Amino acid sequence: MTPDSNAVYRARRISLASLTLAIGVLFLLPLFVESTYVLHLMILIFINTITGSSWNILGGYTGQYSVGHAAYFGAGAYTTMILLQYRHIAPWYGIWAGVVAALVTALIIGSICFRLRGPYFVLASIAVAEIFRVSVLNLKNITNGAEGILITEIPPLSSGGILITDWDSKVPFYFTGLVFALLVILVSWRVGRSKLGYYFQAIREDQDAAHSLGINPTIYKNIALSISAIFTSLAGSLYAVYVGFIDPGSVLSVELSVQIVMIGIIGGVGTILGPVVGAALLVPLSEGLRSNAIANLLIRAGIVDPESRAGAFLKENLGHAHVLIYGILVVIVILFMPEGLVGFVRRAVARRASR
Amino acid sequence: MAIFVQALISGILIGGVYALIGIGLTIIFGVMRIINFAHGDILMIGMYATYYLFTLLHIDPFLSVVITIPLMFLFGAMLQKVFINRALDALPQNQILLTIGLGLIMSNSVMLAFTSDYKILTTRYSSSSVTILGISVSSPLAISFAITAAITAALYWFFLKTDTGQAIRATAQDREAARLMGINVRKMSTIAFGLGAALAGTAGALIAPTYYIFPQVGSIFTLKSFVITVLGGMGSVVGATLGGVLIGVAESIGGVYFGSGWKDVVVFTLFLLVLLFKPAGLLGKSRT
Repeated sequence: MTPDSNAVYRARRISLASLTLAIGVLFLLPLFVESTYVLHLMILIFINTITGSSWNILGGYTGQYSVGHAAYFGAGAYTTMILLQYRHIAPWYGIWAGVVAALVTALIIGSICFRLRGPYFVLASIAVAEIFRVSVLNLKNITNGAEGILITEIPPLSSGGILITDWDSKVPFYFTGLVFALLVILVSWRVGRSKLGYYFQAIREDQDAAHSLGINPTIYKNIALSISAIFTSLAGSLYAVYVGFIDPGSVLSVELSVQIVMIGIIGGVGTILGPVVGAALLVPLSEGLRSNAIANLLIRAGIVDPESRAGAFLKENLGHAHVLIYGILVVIVILFMPEGLVGFVRRAVARRASR
Repeated sequence: MAIFVQALISGILIGGVYALIGIGLTIIFGVMRIINFAHGDILMIGMYATYYLFTLLHIDPFLSVVITIPLMFLFGAMLQKVFINRALDALPQNQILLTIGLGLIMSNSVMLAFTSDYKILTTRYSSSSVTILGISVSSPLAISFAITAAITAALYWFFLKTDTGQAIRATAQDREAARLMGINVRKMSTIAFGLGAALAGTAGALIAPTYYIFPQVGSIFTLKSFVITVLGGMGSVVGATLGGVLIGVAESIGGVYFGSGWKDVVVFTLFLLVLLFKPAGLLGKSRT
């Protein structure tokens, strides 16, 4: 064995060990952390990891920048919530109906949008998602329109007479989110190293060349979209049941679609770690702004005087601007680190190592 | 029938403002091949400028256009110099994300500065109306259409008759060839983005008296501007003018016959049909 491959094996063993450790810590976290706020943040990070990673399969691997992923998120959320609230079907059955709804949505959208390329695909994906949003808004007798759906109770989950959870705390949602997030990461990893993943990348790099080599772009784009839609729908259902309330503005808006894209872009397009890093960075930042934690921090650190006009203003308004951070970061990433944070750090590390 | 004519006329009048929005987007696309996703947010800034010129300095919203146009031109030129220029060679998707990011920064900064409250600009003629061809139309709408028509005419003159206008058209036709002919392509890009922003800002000023003013209003108009330009053909100024009027009419008539809740579905369906079956738009050339 050459020393070179030795190093590779050691690096692989180290990364495998740290991965196992990280997953272990994540599974044990609820035992040690009492703070509901931390659990809440973690659940949001999981949900955003799921949406970011599933967007990444279509946008990152296959190069189809969909800015309409809210449609699949909303399809899952609405199906699960309608079944739960009006048909009293438990969410752990409902989410699979949500997946079916999202797949149907994906096939409709795919058959329309995949005829178009580049910026035209982006525009079409937005338009179709908007048609879905306006339709949900108007079909009041099914979806309750702009008022949205509020769930009153979730039936307890039991198996063989043994109560597993009554969904009273955040912990069951934490584990559901963690399992879904690990699942989508696993699928991304498997797809990335399979023939399917290479087909996706071939389409991303040069669709015509891929086609001439016998890869049917329409079929493989639809496969990528379907995988992507399944997981986005799971995230949507989880979000809906966790928050307990949905309306077209929260689960079907263009803003949501944009946020899903941003998670993938800021972390690093086409990498497995990218969406995870994006979610882990953006969620605490934007939640910190939203809950005024950052404004309070600035005041406590003595940077801003709470009695001054600026202090009062920050306390009053900074919470409303939590999306600002997405805008600033995406501009920085596109202009200065087009490979995203993961690529940027990786390159910086490599540069240091080679010196 | 009377309802139909009423809907048609108010559609055409709104369509004039839509045309301005569309022309702005199409100029930017034509010269730089960048789809400006911050277009609606630039329009929103125009609305706020008009609102504060009116409430603080008591300048009539339609007169304030004289101030808004140069102000928004400078704003657009600055955006191009600082941000867009650095991404001219980036992937189209990344250019789109850059403008989305800029739009988010604009709308959220405005929200920070002026809160997310809805603002209404009420002039003394806000609720008055004029009669055109036996049909009564709200005065702000009619005045804004007249201003739109004047600006559009001036714009056509600029593109057809002036050296700068012709240089911009040449840059849009073939960037490399224009550069070889000694045209300062960078400068033309800056002017084009400035013009695009000025037109969006002006449209914002013109609809300020008839529309709610709030930080997120831009996203509605961003989407609308895509529909307008794609309908007319990306990069075609005449197409955008036509597209604007067509969308105004489609919305207005769609609102009457399908209910106002569904009018956006009518517009987006029209948009998808054009994308799928006539991707070059009604007046556009080939997509490459």
